[in-house]
Amino acid sequence: MKRLFKGVSVGLLGCALMFSALTSSADRSVKVLGWGAQSGPLKSFGVNSETALRSAVAEINAAGGVKLGDGTMVPIEVIGYEDSACKKDQNIAILRKTASTTDAIVAMGTTCSGACQAMFGVLQKKVGDASDSGLQMPMLADTCIRPGLAKISEWAFRNVPNEIDMYDALFAWLSQQHPGIKTFSGGTETDQGHSFITHTKVIVQAAIRHGFEWVGPAVPELGPKVGQGAKELQAATKTQHWLMGDTNYSVQARKIKKQNPDMVLVSSHPFSACGFLKEMKRQRVKPKLLVGLTSSASQETLNGCMKEAEGIIIPTGFAPITPAAQKANEIVSKAGGFLDLHSAAAWENAYLVKAAVEAAGISANPDNLAEDRAKFRNALAGITAAEGLIGPVTRNAEGEASKPYVYVQVVDGKWKVIHDPRG
Amino acid sequence: MDYYLNLINTIGIHTLLGLSAYLLILTGQVSMAQAGFFGIGAYTAAILTVIFESSILTAIGAAMLVSGGVAFLVGFPALRVRGLMLVVATVAFSEFARMFFYNLKWRIVRDGAEIGPDGTMGFAEIRYFNDNGWLNWEVTIFIWVFVAVVMALIWWSDKTRIGAVLRAVGEDELAADSTGINVTVVKVAAMTAGGVVAGLAGSLYAHQVTDLDHHTFTVLLATFAIAYPILGGLSNVFGTLIAVLFIQGLLVEGLRFLGDWRMLLFGALIILAMNIKPLGLFDNQTIRFLRNALGVKRQSGSV
Amino acid sequence: MEDFWYEFVEVTQTITDGLLFGSTYALIGVGFTLIFGAMGKLNMAYAAAALGGAYAGLAGFVLIKAPLVLVFGISAVAAAVLGYAIYFVCFRFIPVNNHLAALMASVGGLFFIDEVVVHVTRGSPLTFPSMFGDVFFEIGPYGIRGDLVFVFVIGLISTGILLYILFKTRLGLATRAVAQQDVAARLCGIGVHSTNSVTFAIAGVLGGIAGAMTAAAVGVLSPVMTVPLTIKGIIVAVIGGLGSIPGAIIAGLFVGAFENVFLYFRGIDERDMYVVALLFIFLVFRPNGLFGTAITRD
Repeated sequence: MKRLFKGVSVGLLGCALMFSALTSSADRSVKVLGWGAQSGPLKSFGVNSETALRSAVAEINAAGGVKLGDGTMVPIEVIGYEDSACKKDQNIAILRKTASTTDAIVAMGTTCSGACQAMFGVLQKKVGDASDSGLQMPMLADTCIRPGLAKISEWAFRNVPNEIDMYDALFAWLSQQHPGIKTFSGGTETDQGHSFITHTKVIVQAAIRHGFEWVGPAVPELGPKVGQGAKELQAATKTQHWLMGDTNYSVQARKIKKQNPDMVLVSSHPFSACGFLKEMKRQRVKPKLLVGLTSSASQETLNGCMKEAEGIIIPTGFAPITPAAQKANEIVSKAGGFLDLHSAAAWENAYLVKAAVEAAGISANPDNLAEDRAKFRNALAGITAAEGLIGPVTRNAEGEASKPYVYVQVVDGKWKVIHDPRG
Repeated sequence: MDYYLNLINTIGIHTLLGLSAYLLILTGQVSMAQAGFFGIGAYTAAILTVIFESSILTAIGAAMLVSGGVAFLVGFPALRVRGLMLVVATVAFSEFARMFFYNLKWRIVRDGAEIGPDGTMGFAEIRYFNDNGWLNWEVTIFIWVFVAVVMALIWWSDKTRIGAVLRAVGEDELAADSTGINVTVVKVAAMTAGGVVAGLAGSLYAHQVTDLDHHTFTVLLATFAIAYPILGGLSNVFGTLIAVLFIQGLLVEGLRFLGDWRMLLFGALIILAMNIKPLGLFDNQTIRFLRNALGVKRQSGSV
Repeated sequence: MEDFWYEFVEVTQTITDGLLFGSTYALIGVGFTLIFGAMGKLNMAYAAAALGGAYAGLAGFVLIKAPLVLVFGISAVAAAVLGYAIYFVCFRFIPVNNHLAALMASVGGLFFIDEVVVHVTRGSPLTFPSMFGDVFFEIGPYGIRGDLVFVFVIGLISTGILLYILFKTRLGLATRAVAQQDVAARLCGIGVHSTNSVTFAIAGVLGGIAGAMTAAAVGVLSPVMTVPLTIKGIIVAVIGGLGSIPGAIIAGLFVGAFENVFLYFRGIDERDMYVVALLFIFLVFRPNGLFGTAITRD
């Protein structure tokens, strides 16, 4: 029995080594490699992004593929979609693996903002800087939504919505639609970088800028400018903080009840957002307006607390409101995934890759890999406008996107578009 | 190549982490504090290279000093608890350290950009290696010089009286005490040494991944730290290295082709390994097997 | 004076909420302490098995519209099965005096159960039905959650039943015998492995109830709950005194109240630091916890 186990483990080791030494296929194709969270609590993000990416690539290939520099049409090949488990070391390992052992001309993914931050850090900071030994590999992210990441490196690009613009516009609209709403309070999960940063630096600020009055504990320096110190704002929102795995929200909910605000912000991901919303319901806290975090405009929130989330308004970069969006939604749903603002970006990225490849005129020849990657990067940096699923997407010099958005609300247990500011 | 070098670096850093726990387990102290020392080393070194623009060696030296110092302080209250209670106490320490990093904010402006640790948002852009043009293989050699030195030191001390004393304390404190060994000194020294090695590992880690945040230094990391010596066996330092190869090389990277089944197998294979080889993968049985297979003659009287 | 009264009400409300929620911690702590008392080993996969049971109960609710009592029942049974499986896979074949290997194997068990849950649910949080979720007693300025009172009561009943089994039945006698001196127990004809597996199963039942109650109290189940609950359970078991069931209960309530009070006064960032500091103080000044060991080992 012991020998059998020993044999199996040796065999497994042998297989592992063999597989990891395999290189990509010899047919000409434009190769990309993706990764995301396929294990751990954020698994659904990885699954959705992968499904969206593969579906979009299948559509592109069905329509003929992409044109190379010499005029031939070749398919895009997704040579793999790895599991990064949202761990920094694994993300970096996969990035290095992609850069050094595969012919992929671009890396796509990944799910977690913290991991993106680490990965972008190992890339070469400025193109052509010979003294910088960072990786020279283009990276196109669909989910890492924390503000300001792409400027870490010129090889890094993101197709994520600009939360600063979205919340600014949302509160402008809300202040018009609901003139009776004056006061607001709210909470966030402090150990999740995206939630915390967006809540303190973006959402609260935007609300104040548009005339809403913060009724949390008073802080003299609280003002309308984005970029104010997180610690100062943290002091302002001190008692309405929780952790993303918390199970008891009674203190926070009670404080909000005492403040009796007209509007409550729940800036966290589905699990703790639902925990908090349920507690608010138990304590009979009934604000007139509820606003949530972009990443929670998803199926997970409905899975976790469909009833309690009724009425929550979130700005999002995706809703099936255009023919292109509806078609994509159908295709991805059939393939077993969900399209939301994050995975829709993965779909769009496939088309962005097509556009960049065709603008770059690459050879898809493994011998010219470094050159192809550099050409691809330059082309991608040059694409300042592209067609997204719900409207045109523009890109700035730092590699950050500016995307159209709509506002959605949970109505009768489903996400419904309540306002379309695309004009 | 770059990918494999990166993997080799990770294995080196985790070997150091495992060795820091190894030293403690030898003396009978199962310590989950290594994650805390690792984090202290990482942040200290990163702060030095990023904010104070010091050289990497200065940063590593400082990290080792600070982690060692903290470990020394932890060593004393740790004496009062043993067995599983020590596990819990050290978990408490690591969590405390993690919360410290969660709150640590030290931002300065350089070249128009803000850098430094920023509380819950982490410590980004620790770019010493890239900014100074270090090539990947240079980083690998740099890390492994440290690993080799530490392994050699531990191997050597195991062959001398130091190793015997450590293991004596680990086997039976009362007996060791009655032969005149100062158990307190030994245990605190082991904790300090473990802290120094973990701090070294952390300082190298910070520069390899260029980004730190409190999510890394969790109880999970501490569990990995003790997993390596337990899985590898306490006979000698190579056990820990083999365990790191098994976990990081085989389970984490080698099984990537299994896609999302990989993490499922992770837990299952650890259970399997512990059932088949409860004394570690590189225990006396394996050593004997290898010796016989390689035809190495044994000196009579040695174990 | 009015301010003081207001603060007083707030603080006592906070303590009450914490105490009630602490009964979930208490049950998980009892599970850890039971296994430690019986075998001298720590089962790191315990909270994972408890939540696994809760997921099974939820499956019952979603798939066959099981009434809530049945949901709790399914959770208990499923967690007992998981508990037995964990014993078999992580403890049975490992030499009795090898604590480290068993610890590591149970860590492997924790990883495994967590990943299975993530695979089945895709990591998505899922809403969990609650018993008496709408009941809210308003007594003067205080508001008390009806479902937490229910959790508290169920916790007391479960522990009472557990203590009855341990001290008034043959099975309990066998468990305590094996815990005290397994060689002598074997000589008396008590099967050590079968007794230990039953202990794990009983602890599993408790865990399943705890998992289901925690899920009902929060309203949502998610794999992110596993590790924090494991750590809290171990802290509670240690503060109560490893091996002492009444100790774990009191410690659970205490930790629940304590962390809530610190959250109220010092905010979330420092809350956990204080809990950890509390643990450290106990370990340094009172290493045997509140009540030392009720089931002792030779």
